[in-house]
Amino acid sequence: MAVAQQVGTVKKNYLQALNEALREEMARNEDLLLLGEDIGILGGAFGVTEGLQEEFGGHRVYDMPISEAAIVGVAVGAALNGKTVMAEMQFIDFISCGFDQIVNMMATYHYRTAGEVNIPVVVRGPAGGYGGGALYHSQMNEAWFCHSPGLKVVCPSTPYDAKGLMKAALRDGNPVIFYEIKELYRLNSIAEELPEEDYTVPLGKAAIRRSGKDLTFVTYGNNVYHCLEAAEVLFKEHGIDAEVIDIRSLVPLDEETIYTSLGKTNRVVVVNEAPMTCGFAGEIVARITNNAFDLLDAPPLRVTRLDTPVPWAKPLESFVLPGVDKIVAAGLRVARF
Amino acid sequence: MPTSSAQTSEKPKSSANGVAKRPSELLTKEQCLELFQHLYLARYFDVRLIKEKKRGRLRGTLYSSHNQEAVIVGSIYGLQPNDWISPIHRDMPMFFLKDARNGLRNPNRMGMTIEEICAQVWCKAGSPGRARDNWSHIGSQSKHIIHSTSMLAGTIPAAAGVALADKINGVNNVVLTFNGEGSTAQGVFHEAINFAAVRKLPVVTVVENNMWAYGTPVELECPTEDVADRAKGYGIPGFVANGQDVFDVYDKVMEAVEWARAGNGPSIVECKTFRAYGHGDHDDDRAAKYRDPKEVAQGRANDPIAVCRKRLIDLGYLTGDAATQYVAENKGAGEVTNEDFPPEVVEYMNEGIEFAMNSPLPEAEEGGMWVFKE
Repeated sequence: MAVAQQVGTVKKNYLQALNEALREEMARNEDLLLLGEDIGILGGAFGVTEGLQEEFGGHRVYDMPISEAAIVGVAVGAALNGKTVMAEMQFIDFISCGFDQIVNMMATYHYRTAGEVNIPVVVRGPAGGYGGGALYHSQMNEAWFCHSPGLKVVCPSTPYDAKGLMKAALRDGNPVIFYEIKELYRLNSIAEELPEEDYTVPLGKAAIRRSGKDLTFVTYGNNVYHCLEAAEVLFKEHGIDAEVIDIRSLVPLDEETIYTSLGKTNRVVVVNEAPMTCGFAGEIVARITNNAFDLLDAPPLRVTRLDTPVPWAKPLESFVLPGVDKIVAAGLRVARF
Repeated sequence: MPTSSAQTSEKPKSSANGVAKRPSELLTKEQCLELFQHLYLARYFDVRLIKEKKRGRLRGTLYSSHNQEAVIVGSIYGLQPNDWISPIHRDMPMFFLKDARNGLRNPNRMGMTIEEICAQVWCKAGSPGRARDNWSHIGSQSKHIIHSTSMLAGTIPAAAGVALADKINGVNNVVLTFNGEGSTAQGVFHEAINFAAVRKLPVVTVVENNMWAYGTPVELECPTEDVADRAKGYGIPGFVANGQDVFDVYDKVMEAVEWARAGNGPSIVECKTFRAYGHGDHDDDRAAKYRDPKEVAQGRANDPIAVCRKRLIDLGYLTGDAATQYVAENKGAGEVTNEDFPPEVVEYMNEGIEFAMNSPLPEAEEGGMWVFKE
């Protein structure tokens, strides 16, 4: 499996980084449990939990029935009784089957008990399109959970962040919905060396992936790479120098980094692969217009998935999802406004 | 009322086999009288709140537990202090009756105080949840009471999670969840009990079958003769108790609890009872129309206080004047008076209400607090 380290290199891919994060946290916190479908004997459909049941035992790593509501609810109960829990959704699309337990039971527990009860649960799973997964293996449904107070929502785009954010999420003490970009799991081009020592990436802190002075791309997940590619096209072909901000955390959102960038560029395009209507890209645009309107020299634009499901065939999928061409076009529009 | 045990594939040793005594037969006279007092406490809590609500002093919807007190009292009486419960909307007296055997006024017992519960009902800051969610949506992590939401059967997965954590830690607590017969149709009911059965977790699902899920009769909610028959699908025991008889409830639940504590896994205990009023107090008038008055009269014919009184008289535990005083049974909330209850029961509730009335409302800004742990 791809989790095994390649000979002759210390670079780790996104999947290995997640596996390391879970292994190290399991060793660090003996009250950490892992729950999910096929995560124990098999090591997970993608291998994120590979080797963990062998190493830590069946009393720490549980193969669950196909019951997402029970997976989340059991995690909540175990958390109520002193445990920290990672609950895997085999695909993040399946999280809808556990929706009530997430938004009504888990998200609100701290609130409705006036802070008596903390629920340290990370619900994580592979997400996103571009891989031909079709309607039910391609979703980015993060807006549902950003819209449910009490949940933190994160989405790393690099191996370093995947490991650091996972560790931070497992130590946060709040319920966290953790979006892993499955198309990045085994992408060798982004594999990187990871620090030997323990580290975390704080929730609520954005990263600047490319510095620029003419416009700002605000994005996360797989579209970080599309925006970086679009920035190169804009620079080489049009002399436009774009900054790329990877927000990494949606809730909480690092607005300061966005506004600081806008202070320099005065133009912004927000890119994500969820449907446009009521999506998180719209939320970012709304905050910018509310809080940083004076900084804008052009209307903020969104590049998102069309308001459609994600279809299967390649031309259909490419048609509805954001791509480099669409991002370049939006960049030109705001730059030339 | 059927009281037979609908046991399935894995049968606990029957307690009705003529050899072993039923758990209730091992109760002392004092314990039997305490059960009787708990029925009074539960009934008085309910009728008093109905009156307070009619006076316009309470906010939200009251889900009366009238006529269902034997389930509330009998199911938790035999629990160990550290066992967990997850009461639902019609179970409010359970919050202050949990671990009441260690003394209603014992501050260290694993139950909540009447002051906390009344402050909750009165929407005051003295509520354990500072009146953030309504009525029965409270609990206590430290007292081992799981907080419910309005999504019924939604606490069964949490109960399984609590039990899983205890099992990992080598702690032998049992978790009792409470559900109406209607919520046994929820998908999460299946998911959670299925998981608990697979892992043999000590989760006892008590089903309070009061024959009506809001405005829908049980036969339109559940296709089996007994709701407890659902246990067959999980290979776990299903018990049926006469929910009007506190001793029968106690017997069946204790059998399930000991089965669970011995490591045999979950079970379902159906308690057949009858909802006296509407689904909530907003529904009382309509319930009088959608339910046949004969059915209602029949359903309320076996008042749990009367059933218990008869048993105590038969046992010789209630004699002379004591056998005929404080006749709270077979009276509606509008008919019964304080004189129908033992004075210490009225006093206990009065103390709770006094605390609630004197407790301040929560500060407005609290509405924005505790979304996240800082």
